[in-house]
Amino acid sequence: MDSVGSSYPVGGPPVTPAMSRPSPAPRPGPTPTTISAKIVVAGGFGVGKTTFVGSVSEIDPLTTEAVMTEASAGHDDLSATPNKQTTTVAMDFGRVSLDSDLILYLFGTPGQHRFWFMWDDLVRGAIGAVVLVDTRRLADCFSAIDFFEDRGLPYVVGLNAFDGQQPHRVEDVREAMSIDPSIPIVMCDARNRESTKQTLIALVQHAMAARMAAGARR
Amino acid sequence: MRDGTADDQPVRRAGRVVPVYAVTGGRTRSAGKELPVEALVTVTHSGRHAADLQLEYRTILGLAAAPVSLVEIGAALQVPVGVARVLVGDLADAGYVAVHLPQVGGDGAPGPEILERLLEGLRARSA
Repeated sequence: MDSVGSSYPVGGPPVTPAMSRPSPAPRPGPTPTTISAKIVVAGGFGVGKTTFVGSVSEIDPLTTEAVMTEASAGHDDLSATPNKQTTTVAMDFGRVSLDSDLILYLFGTPGQHRFWFMWDDLVRGAIGAVVLVDTRRLADCFSAIDFFEDRGLPYVVGLNAFDGQQPHRVEDVREAMSIDPSIPIVMCDARNRESTKQTLIALVQHAMAARMAAGARR
Repeated sequence: MRDGTADDQPVRRAGRVVPVYAVTGGRTRSAGKELPVEALVTVTHSGRHAADLQLEYRTILGLAAAPVSLVEIGAALQVPVGVARVLVGDLADAGYVAVHLPQVGGDGAPGPEILERLLEGLRARSA
């Protein structure tokens, strides 16, 4: 399928004969000609999420705020906490125009437990997630991995090479973190555009494989 | 100049003397419409000719000359994305903007054709 650079006729969604699956999504807009998609970039504080987003984004990463209800205590279980208050959390995002009618948004999100309720909004409809890992602080990414596992969102693990160095082998990290062999773990350099693109490609491929596997099970 | 849609204006003409939260009437969620943060917004014909709108609405209509996402609108207005959602909902209700939802399948996940196109697009950028 070679749709790069092509444009679709006004009045109809893109339909590829080989994959003519009608989209049941409601369309408030009259003639949707541009499509958006999103990928979540998660990981611990200071692991390079904003750098990752910025290296591939065509705009400088922007920051937006999400206001949410937060438990005033006991962040791990909101339902059990009646006293809630609103808080504001910043999230960085970038934009990549992949075609004249296809825009990919990348969201860098804080990795702590207490922001999980924000993630629910973010992961809805997402392609998948990149979990960035600093191998010096493996535990920082566990909550993100648990979250994506729980929600069934496809994800890949990116081992960010700080100072261009990655002292650990992929398989050692996989074993240390007990990551399932089906989950891709890739080396990446968040500062490097080509490297971040390869990481995103690995994620999209993994998401495609996950969809096919899910389809085969049905 | 006023056209037939003038009566549908979401907010009466006013100077910016109140915080955006007041513009939205304290709402941070549009009724029944939970637009995803990456939903794209484009200005409609009547939106291009809308007059006497408040600053925030005018800013959104300007941004939406080209497809722009809810989250970009929030960043541009320096308001939380929930507030942008409400403002865009108002403009959509008035017919001034069209909202384009991401294409997802019945399971809520993007379909294989979108994944294919993303893959192609990313690879093309890598070349």
